Amino acid sequence: MADRAVSEEASMAGHATKLASIPASDNTVWADASPLLEAACRGLRDGELIHGDNFNLFAAMSALEIMDPKMDSGIVCRYYSIEEAIENGAAPIPISLESTIDVQCTIDIMDHLLACEAAWHKGHSLAQTVFSCIYLLRLDRTASHALLHSYCRVIRTTCKAVVSVVSDARTHEEEDLFTMTYGLPLNGDGDEKCLSMLNAVEETISRQLRACKATSSKRRVSEDLEPLQSNTNLEEGLCKALLCRLRFRKHFFHVLTCMKRPQGRGLELARKHIASCILELESILKSAEFLRFCSDEFCEDDIEDKTTASGREPIGFDATLNSRLSAPTPPRAIKILSWKKAVEYFVKLLHDLDVMCSYSLDPHLESLLRFVVQFQKSQPDLVARAHLQLLLVQDGKLYGRDPIFAVITKAAALPEATKNHDIQKNEYIVQLGQLVVNLLKILCTNVAWQRRKLGKILQDWRVIYVQLELAFRNEFGEVSSSSNAENICMKIFQHILIWVEEQTYWIACRFLILGFELDLYSASEYCMVYWYLYAVLIKLAEKTHLKTAFSYDTAKRKGKKKRDSPKDLARESRIPPAVLFLQCYICLAEGLTMMLAALRNEIMVLQSPSPFNTEQEKFVQHFELLQRACIPDHVSYPSFKESTTQARFSTLVMYNYFKDAQRIAKEVKSSFSNDPDRLAELRRLEQVAEHNSVALNLICRVGALDPSLKVSFEFSHHPFFATAIVRRS
Amino acid sequence: MEQEVGESLIQLGSLGDPNSSSSDPVTRVRKLLFRRMLVGIKDGRFFLGTFHCIDKQGNIILQDSIEYRSTRHSTPSPMEQRCLGLILIPFSCRTSCHVDCSINEQLSLLKV
Repeated sequence: MADRAVSEEASMAGHATKLASIPASDNTVWADASPLLEAACRGLRDGELIHGDNFNLFAAMSALEIMDPKMDSGIVCRYYSIEEAIENGAAPIPISLESTIDVQCTIDIMDHLLACEAAWHKGHSLAQTVFSCIYLLRLDRTASHALLHSYCRVIRTTCKAVVSVVSDARTHEEEDLFTMTYGLPLNGDGDEKCLSMLNAVEETISRQLRACKATSSKRRVSEDLEPLQSNTNLEEGLCKALLCRLRFRKHFFHVLTCMKRPQGRGLELARKHIASCILELESILKSAEFLRFCSDEFCEDDIEDKTTASGREPIGFDATLNSRLSAPTPPRAIKILSWKKAVEYFVKLLHDLDVMCSYSLDPHLESLLRFVVQFQKSQPDLVARAHLQLLLVQDGKLYGRDPIFAVITKAAALPEATKNHDIQKNEYIVQLGQLVVNLLKILCTNVAWQRRKLGKILQDWRVIYVQLELAFRNEFGEVSSSSNAENICMKIFQHILIWVEEQTYWIACRFLILGFELDLYSASEYCMVYWYLYAVLIKLAEKTHLKTAFSYDTAKRKGKKKRDSPKDLARESRIPPAVLFLQCYICLAEGLTMMLAALRNEIMVLQSPSPFNTEQEKFVQHFELLQRACIPDHVSYPSFKESTTQARFSTLVMYNYFKDAQRIAKEVKSSFSNDPDRLAELRRLEQVAEHNSVALNLICRVGALDPSLKVSFEFSHHPFFATAIVRRS
Repeated sequence: MEQEVGESLIQLGSLGDPNSSSSDPVTRVRKLLFRRMLVGIKDGRFFLGTFHCIDKQGNIILQDSIEYRSTRHSTPSPMEQRCLGLILIPFSCRTSCHVDCSINEQLSLLKV
């Protein structure tokens, strides 16, 4: 109320002067039009408007309504400006004249800043989170307060580093608020010195801590070192609370700079700092009890929501001060993460970064793709994903180290020597390299965005395949001339063509599987999804097999002269483990398709009950992007109908796909004995197969007789292969 | 000088001859369309833009408007400005309204 009165008074007093400061044009003056407008309004009929020829009611509806709290970000809140807020004591320095309170308040500010930083990482704007701190907005003011100054400075430098990683990676299309720094004082002089400042402050406090420990034990007063604050009982606890907070910032900043080093050279060092960060976070969590104990406003129950360890409100924050920076409309109100949640967030972030740092930078694309998919399963947040992307693709090379063509030849199972072949200058091969880079970047984005993008790039992969094939035919159309050089070219083309197809089906698979992770399919649609997944997997296995056979073929031809043992022949006839692995998937997908189809055909469950879409429309909605890219060829809604309408339990029992899956999973395990991830996956597949096999037998035995049988599907054993649950109601 | 002109426009508003169509306030306001208009509101801000529309309730729409805002409660203080585009200023928060007029033009309007 008082504020409003003040502002109204100000507006009256200030009118004349302000009018003078806003100039009219040359030779013109401001003339008061209020009475004329008033008279005109009286003369208007209801609903009548005075407007020009260019007036458009629809366009006028989009006008920003002044003084509407949801539309007008300029409404004068408490203060007109940061300077005014500071003059009114909103962010005092020192925070308190009493040294104990000053230190406690500093810790509160540190904690709230951490919560703000986490909220920023989680997708809110920098202006509403970290830069709601008035001290950060005017960093130079804090120069006399070494503790606060060093902390604020390292926060600012860290924010800058994170912004640059995320904006370089450009994985944030969906999270574009993140890099908006317009109007914020993110850049300042002397930020390169932030670590030395932080170290100096840390050194002082650790000496103070040592001093207070010495005095308490040996009753010896240390000279020439002032204590941190005046209350000797709190000295040790406060020193410790500050130290872990400062050290966390120091190590976190090191983590970021190490991870930025080219070609993953800083990853090992980064891991050490990550470990230190996690230790400091533990100490920070432990300090909460002491800080809450010191706090006067001790309150146990709502501590969970507080943004500080002590539970007090921090001094010096006001998000309304820069609400006008980003857009004419005010930003939506946000809730800053609680301090506990913020610490949890940083622990998770550090774990994610640690997983990334411990990765071996494998030059095999296949294992890299598996790593990225596995990494995404832990749902890393934007900052971790951006770091991963920057690690994978630097200067257009894999890890900034391996040229993409070399990566492709390796993936296509070509001999090592081909990576320097001139064919890499072929424009389509260059384009293909670009597609690989794009694929890697897309795989680092958030899951929803990733799925959409993967669906869209399928067509590019299809097109590049056709173009490569054409180029191949043009060059080797007549096979008459077969000099050795051309022979190598031909081989490279053949290998790459097969690999492009394999990779395309891999993308299609991932696209379909991500639909489960995103909950895009309803139970009535599982049948068609598994059917489509089955069709894609068959193709994928086929191409993988072809590729391995091809590479074996070339390898064999090379070594033929040396030895021709019967062992080699035996190995040739064996199906490679990677293909067997896929076959396990295929059996499960086919088994689920048929079981779902039989359920629908015979017991009339899981039929599509939606009054809004026909089954065919749903088919189109789910697989449009695949269909458009002809993945796989000749797959359509009629072919889906054709292959599922005949499904009956009587035939399913005779040929149980789940039994096959179980058998293959058991067999192939030995081939992956040193790959714990894939072993775990095989175990999951085995479980799904076993459960479904039992369920299938049960339904077959009693299904037709017992109409009260209820069948539902759950993802309790595997993220995208459902397990049937049979109940009697 | 400024204030004098301001006063004269008040007269222009109130002394119009109701019989003459050209002196009808609605017609005269229509002539102000597309002119630069400066509107002050309760919280002390000013908006400068092209006069686009007004309704019976006195709500004004300005085009290509700029917001002026002082940086302190105390006057005089430096002004901050930013572009807002198309805005609607409700009658309830309007405290002043000025149009950009040349002196000659105003005299001619007065003569009518």
